[in-house]
Amino acid sequence: MIRIYRQLLVAQIQAAAQYRIQAVLWMLFSIIRPVIFLAAWTAVSNAQGGSIGSYTTSDFAAYYIALTIVGHLTTAWNSFEFEFEVRQGRLSPKLLRPLHPLHYAVVENLIWKATTFLPLLVVCALVAATFNVQWHGQWWHLALFVPSIVLAAALAFMIAWVIATATFWLQRINTVNTLFQRVGFMFAGQIAPLALVPTWMQVVSYSLPFAYFLAVPAEILRGGVTLEVGLLYLVGQAVWLGLMIIAYRFAWRAGLREYSAVGA
Amino acid sequence: MARRTPRIQRGGRLVLRYLRMFRAFASTEFQFEMEYRGNFYLSILEMFLVIGTSIAAVLVMFGHTTTINGWTLPQMIVLLGVYYLIQGGVNLVFSPSFERLMEHVRAGTLDFHLLKPVNAQFLVSTRHLRVVRAADLLLGLVVVIVGLFQVGEQVGVGAALLFALSLVFGVMLVYSLLLGLVTLSFWFVRVENLLAIFWAFTEAGRFPVDVYPLWLRVSLSTIVPIGIAVTAPANAIAGRMDWIAVALLGAGTVLAVGIASALWRRGLKSYTGASA
Repeated sequence: MIRIYRQLLVAQIQAAAQYRIQAVLWMLFSIIRPVIFLAAWTAVSNAQGGSIGSYTTSDFAAYYIALTIVGHLTTAWNSFEFEFEVRQGRLSPKLLRPLHPLHYAVVENLIWKATTFLPLLVVCALVAATFNVQWHGQWWHLALFVPSIVLAAALAFMIAWVIATATFWLQRINTVNTLFQRVGFMFAGQIAPLALVPTWMQVVSYSLPFAYFLAVPAEILRGGVTLEVGLLYLVGQAVWLGLMIIAYRFAWRAGLREYSAVGA
Repeated sequence: MARRTPRIQRGGRLVLRYLRMFRAFASTEFQFEMEYRGNFYLSILEMFLVIGTSIAAVLVMFGHTTTINGWTLPQMIVLLGVYYLIQGGVNLVFSPSFERLMEHVRAGTLDFHLLKPVNAQFLVSTRHLRVVRAADLLLGLVVVIVGLFQVGEQVGVGAALLFALSLVFGVMLVYSLLLGLVTLSFWFVRVENLLAIFWAFTEAGRFPVDVYPLWLRVSLSTIVPIGIAVTAPANAIAGRMDWIAVALLGAGTVLAVGIASALWRRGLKSYTGASA
């Protein structure tokens, strides 16, 4: 398996090298929305005398920069691409290969993140300077962030694949995608740090997977949690990741039986 | 003794001719769209979701404050409505048409468009519509009206007129930018990525342009006029735009459209129909 992955990595790096500028451009998508909400919250916080709840203006900046990094590292686009592959008949030849299509996607995903991470950090540094960020974390926040971001990226990736399998039944899943995107927008911590949203929204965020792929790692990276809470969050992430993997295996197997290879 | 028709009349006829053409485009595209009825209704549902969640985001913010940079909640709702109005307008006509234009340039099939006895810029800007996006316009309008009711004060005829004018200018401003970007495809062939960035930046229109730090404001309002396009009409409703400001906006818009059309004509000259 390791040998296979090494080969896939080499192939993907070569493929990605052809589209360097494109990769960097898509990175902008990771940055723009958090910066927009950061700007708005900075205005709100300044209007309220420099802080809201437990968040000072520079805490907002730290949170949204952490969110930018987390959002970037948890990007998964398979739910968008998969529909296209099914419709164009590109899935069928992939199914004939001995390796599950998922593995190609994993490598593709990792390469994109690895190659765009450095430029992302540069832009984040610029934003951080503009918004006067202060980091209040401890060293163990960083140590906790590593497993948290890995779990979050895996969780987001598996959710994308679960959504993708809906293509087998629905053919077009634009609406499913939009639905998930917008619910995520509400509950994953994009519009505000979860501590500042109404209680019923917090309940939804933490009992469904939404908090665990965006807000949780961002709060950990920002240094906004105690060790106990941080560990508890990790458990939540692991549980949801497990559930998603199970859901995916079921959906994939049932979906393949449904698959009619329309475009092939 | 052929009498020449006065210029005004000819001009009027020309406009009528183009309007008729536009109506034909719209009805063809509507028939296309109705082939996929399920998809049509789902798109409308999606828009409800998008607008609903955006309003929710604003409500969460206003749970912690009463103004953002001097904007009250009702004014922000109006702004959000304008944002979707402009997006709806652009996505209804210009962006589907421009998407096809880029395909035509790449495939060399633009020749067929150029051979037709109409203004090519008109044809490539309006030929394809995504009819379902008209629902966005409607929803945006509803949001604006709801916001207006909450503002409570009477909106005078003057303010309404300024609003409508700056809205039209805003859409045309965005149009000229899009035309300019798409025209680049004559030289670079693949410009979808530039458009993708443009769409990413338009997100910023959901808040008044004055909340952004200077570097972002400069890039928003000059490179990507969406900031101006959205904030100006909302300002007009809030009574913060006078006739001079709207006139300036109008002059800027005319200038922008002029530059974009000039660029388009230059681009057309270097079009070779490569793959045709």
